[in-house]
Amino acid sequence: MVSTVQNSDVKQKDEDQAVVVAVTFAAVFDAEAEDDRDVYRLGVALPLLQVLQRVNERLLEENPVEHQLFDIILITTETRQQQQSSSIINSTRHHGLEVGRFCFSSEDDFIESLAHNNVQLFLTTDGNEALQATQQGVPSALLDKNSASCPSDQLRVVLCQDATIQPNADSSGASKKSAQSFLTLLGQIRQKFGMFNSPLCFTIVTSCGGKDSCCSALKSLRSLGVSVDEAYCLGGAPRGPILSILRPHFLLSDGFSQLEG
Amino acid sequence: MSELKPEEETAADDSGEEKDWEAAKAFFDSLKTKVPRPPKPRNAVTIAVSSRTLFNMVAERKLYQDEGVEKYVAFQVEHENEPLKPGPAFPFVKALMNVNTRLRQLYPDSEELFDIVLMTNNHAQVGVRLINSINHYGLTIERFCMTGGKSPIGYLKAYMTNLYLSKDSEKVTEAIDEGIAAATMFMSEKESDLSDSQLRVAFDGDAVLFSDESEIIVKQHGLDSFFEHEQKFENKPLAQGPLKCFLEALGKLQRKFYAKNERIDCPIRTFLVTARSAASSGARVLKTLRSWGLEIDEALFLAGAPKGPLLQKIRPHIFFDDQMFHIEGAKELGTISAHVPYGIGQKYHKGKLIQQPEKKE
Repeated sequence: MVSTVQNSDVKQKDEDQAVVVAVTFAAVFDAEAEDDRDVYRLGVALPLLQVLQRVNERLLEENPVEHQLFDIILITTETRQQQQSSSIINSTRHHGLEVGRFCFSSEDDFIESLAHNNVQLFLTTDGNEALQATQQGVPSALLDKNSASCPSDQLRVVLCQDATIQPNADSSGASKKSAQSFLTLLGQIRQKFGMFNSPLCFTIVTSCGGKDSCCSALKSLRSLGVSVDEAYCLGGAPRGPILSILRPHFLLSDGFSQLEG
Repeated sequence: MSELKPEEETAADDSGEEKDWEAAKAFFDSLKTKVPRPPKPRNAVTIAVSSRTLFNMVAERKLYQDEGVEKYVAFQVEHENEPLKPGPAFPFVKALMNVNTRLRQLYPDSEELFDIVLMTNNHAQVGVRLINSINHYGLTIERFCMTGGKSPIGYLKAYMTNLYLSKDSEKVTEAIDEGIAAATMFMSEKESDLSDSQLRVAFDGDAVLFSDESEIIVKQHGLDSFFEHEQKFENKPLAQGPLKCFLEALGKLQRKFYAKNERIDCPIRTFLVTARSAASSGARVLKTLRSWGLEIDEALFLAGAPKGPLLQKIRPHIFFDDQMFHIEGAKELGTISAHVPYGIGQKYHKGKLIQQPEKKE
């Protein structure tokens, strides 16, 4: 049974226009570590939460009545976590996280909650959860210890063109469509800022393909309303060094590489 | 200074990289037009060129400076199906491609080739026009970084770049400070007739191939002290300069032709064009090169005569010098030159110390 609780510390976002991002408990908090006051320590998702907040702040600076903001919800995906609801709420408020609401679900019904809450991006540290969500049409991305050292002043979204990069790539129609609509939303947000000094940055990395595949990706994304900022075509060169300079908050792969034809 | 490719890599990195490598191989093999697959960066001589050195973007640059980035990008997107005209590094890149063709004929499985990477600060939307232009001229450039305004230095290192060419002297200086061979390119006003079968590269000696230790003596103590010093230390090798490793990389490729009996017909030729005089200060230079195990095909000692006329005869695809005075002289007579902003020469102009204005912070 799923229960949803609003965080009274945070102003609720517009239901229709907000871009809902669900982050799992295990990503927000370091579940193993609790300090004396029963408060969880923060986990790998912290820079991401900070940067999403930063984008919201900049959006409101551009337009004080902006409704297309990121709406962050914390979701539990295990029964054990579901039972810790008060600790979770307390810890969130203690750390002042901009989480709009909490979704207490278990491993059996968290997918439903994603749909029910109109989640447009699901972030987790668990590969299986990401795969399940993608198959059900919710774009997902994996966070890991690298996410913990990402910058918090600019949201860096990296689109990888080759399926070899994303381990849970899935090419079902549902996942492609939903990834495309998520990208379109991000593209709309990106448009609200200028070329320089934007709090959101889109990057394409073409790992194995040639420059022409990169070029057509640039054009396809343009047709979705996504104006890519940076592009790297590696031609088989090692991607590790490049990704460690890019420091993406998350990598997306499927959904745009087969847009043409 | 930039060392030749390091060999260390962990086993974990290796297996992930191998997968990408195999996937890239498969991709290029499957292409209908046989585009040669780019070599692994660690085996190749990597040359990074910026968009303004590869193509002539003078008008577009002016638009950027006068009307700002948004108008500039919009213009580029509007004209993205119109190929750009060649820039100062264009003949150099074509000459590199020719060497690759010859190397592939002799060593079909080797990855010891030139790898040309486009390294630009441009926004990715401008990239479409750049890629279209590269395709228009049939250039074999498969790797690029369009950093959208961020510094290219990290990427230069990631590609183990052997030489970086740009029009932006700040980026070039940053690269040299990080130990990467780099130079600022200048287009010549005159057209010149360059070889399309042989890559010809000319280097100045002091503060380019060698350190600026001797130039410091000239500037601070005069020519006579310089001659005395050079003769005294004739047998002590000079320290290396920022472009020494690039000469070394060229030499390595040259030897591959010699090994197949192609010395006469070698498609790479190197020149030393120095203001030193052969009699009084030349020996140290030649002995230094010998001690490094490096060869240079022609060493030209000018004893202070202007470099322009001689370079006009040599017709190199690129000429590296640390002093703007020589760069300007070369440019006037039609040589494509590249300034290496290194050493004491940067503080002087035509022998006089440049009075630096107070730096505005």
